[in-house]
Amino acid sequence: MPTPFNAALEDLRTTRVWKSIFRRGPANSNRTRSIAVFGNLFLHWLPVKVREKSLRVRAAYYLGSLSFLLFIMLVVTGVLLMFYYHPAVPNAYRDMKDLQFVVSNGVFLRNMHRLGAHLMVLLVFWHMFHVFYRGGYKPPHEFNWVIGVLLLLVTLFLSYTGYLLPWDQLAFWAVTVGTNIISAMPVIGRKVRFVALGGNIVGENALLRFYVLHVVILPLLAFLFIGVHFWRVQKDGGLTVRPTRDEDGTNKD
Amino acid sequence: MQNPAQKSPRGKPVISRREFLNETTLGALGIAGLGGTALLYQYFSPNVLFEPPMTFRAGNPDLYPVDSVTFLQDQLVYIVRTSSGFYAVSAVCTHLGCITQWKPDANMIACPCHGSKFHRDGVKIEGPAPRPLPHFAISLTSDGELLVNKLETIKPDKVLNV
Amino acid sequence: MEQTKIEAGFQSDAKKEPRRIVFITRNTSAKVQDDRGPKLMTYPNLLVREAIVFEVLVVIMVLIALFWDAPLEQLANPLLTPNPAKAPWYFLGLQELLHFFPPFVAGILIPTLVLLALVVIPYFKVNVEGKPLWEEHPKKRAGIVVAVILTLLVLLAVFDAWTIIVPTAAVSVLLLSSYQSKASRGWLAVLRRKPLSWWIMTWFIATAICLTVVGTFFRGPGWSWIWPWGTHAG
Repeated sequence: MPTPFNAALEDLRTTRVWKSIFRRGPANSNRTRSIAVFGNLFLHWLPVKVREKSLRVRAAYYLGSLSFLLFIMLVVTGVLLMFYYHPAVPNAYRDMKDLQFVVSNGVFLRNMHRLGAHLMVLLVFWHMFHVFYRGGYKPPHEFNWVIGVLLLLVTLFLSYTGYLLPWDQLAFWAVTVGTNIISAMPVIGRKVRFVALGGNIVGENALLRFYVLHVVILPLLAFLFIGVHFWRVQKDGGLTVRPTRDEDGTNKD
Repeated sequence: MQNPAQKSPRGKPVISRREFLNETTLGALGIAGLGGTALLYQYFSPNVLFEPPMTFRAGNPDLYPVDSVTFLQDQLVYIVRTSSGFYAVSAVCTHLGCITQWKPDANMIACPCHGSKFHRDGVKIEGPAPRPLPHFAISLTSDGELLVNKLETIKPDKVLNV
Repeated sequence: MEQTKIEAGFQSDAKKEPRRIVFITRNTSAKVQDDRGPKLMTYPNLLVREAIVFEVLVVIMVLIALFWDAPLEQLANPLLTPNPAKAPWYFLGLQELLHFFPPFVAGILIPTLVLLALVVIPYFKVNVEGKPLWEEHPKKRAGIVVAVILTLLVLLAVFDAWTIIVPTAAVSVLLLSSYQSKASRGWLAVLRRKPLSWWIMTWFIATAICLTVVGTFFRGPGWSWIWPWGTHAG
């Protein structure tokens, strides 16, 4: 017996406005469910059908999904934090104090962002090791593995550039040590360090450059690579699931 | 189709129009790419720096007693005066850039980050630092003040006689 | 003459007698890839599960974020180096490495080699079937393994890098026990069936964890060794 809410929803779905947005009609047949994924800009990187085994938690512990979802969370919290942060040397630290003590829910947002950042590095490493032990890098998934390694690098750089932004002692010296390692590169080391910092010292130029990297360039790269990564998962044949084994060790399937 | 065996009547190799245009275009794109990279590198290398100047005055030599090590905090340089003269040693540890500290009781310069230790002339006593602390060019201005240039490193045996 | 098109990889001699039905090239799996189990519609099965995972993640994060604050130290002071000056935790392993090796080796060379190794994994002699290390030529391989491990340990000892020596030794003990063991059940038997790639990655993870843990908890001022629970030992 349809409730008034359901009935109202059904009526809504018959309106022209609704039908102009969701042209497939309600997703109540396999055909419309297929279109819901295949014909959707945001979802068409997913396959229309998934193997039942890959849905189980123990298949891959949703590690890849968690990494992506964390990335979305970090983008959202990060953008919100941007409204109160000036990437300039005297202001940056003041803004951190601002967020901590003055801005409503500022401390919560910052905590979510920092927690998400640490979790994401952890999860991305865990995801990589898990894919390795499952053999998910073997042909035909080789290129996707390489994309994954690139994503790991992007994640680490995102975390590192973000680390400088509070401009406290922890941030400043972590970056000083890191950029001095860069100058250990043979021949081009000092030049690369000069361009990375925008100068000889970790100062206002460095802060601005790390900010632009952290907020624009690296997230764009991440989105690009994530897109390719997901697309390749689908095109290479889906998740690699551990085959179930019989008692004598032979594969059940 | 390019056939490498094809030769013109005079024995020179012949290239098709398509091949020629392809290769020329790729070459041009390559040069453009290189040029673009060079331009980008130039763009990202700032020409004006808002940092403390790398060449600075360190005051009158009489300010520094003989056999002393003076730490200039804003410039991160030690002015060392021995019986024979002056030299300027960098206070930035050569390992990873931490600021060293002068320990007068132990008569050495110590880095807090990874435990590198140096003599007052920059020579390493122990620790993971790969090189001794560099000496900066030090000279006298025309009005008799010490002038240190951090952009120029000199051999450690050179001492400014005053 | 009928031409049967067979997906055969590099070469197909399907026209010649005897006719092959399937041509298995090296470095591919012999398993039939087609039927790997029943399928379900992504909408709603996968999407709803992802939504649930997202909600669980958010709930857990919110709970943690409400009770634990992100750190914020004093304003950056270029003239005052904190003692010790530590990198974020995911780089602490690297910082510990820097204690033993010169900056170029620990900071540039080793990370580059690690990255290269990671990227090359799927391309270099991929052990598709996951054959155990000791399956072929066990004696010869054991000899090579022992030689490599000994060389590595000597090199590490030269640099006094005992933070790496300990996990290397531990994994080597496991590896060689798996070689010696005649057991058919139990964890040693499981270990004996592991391929070489498994051992190398496990060694890498063990070393990385050891380096990071030491760098986080056991290093104090001047990067000296401390016991995390008590007073400084030196």
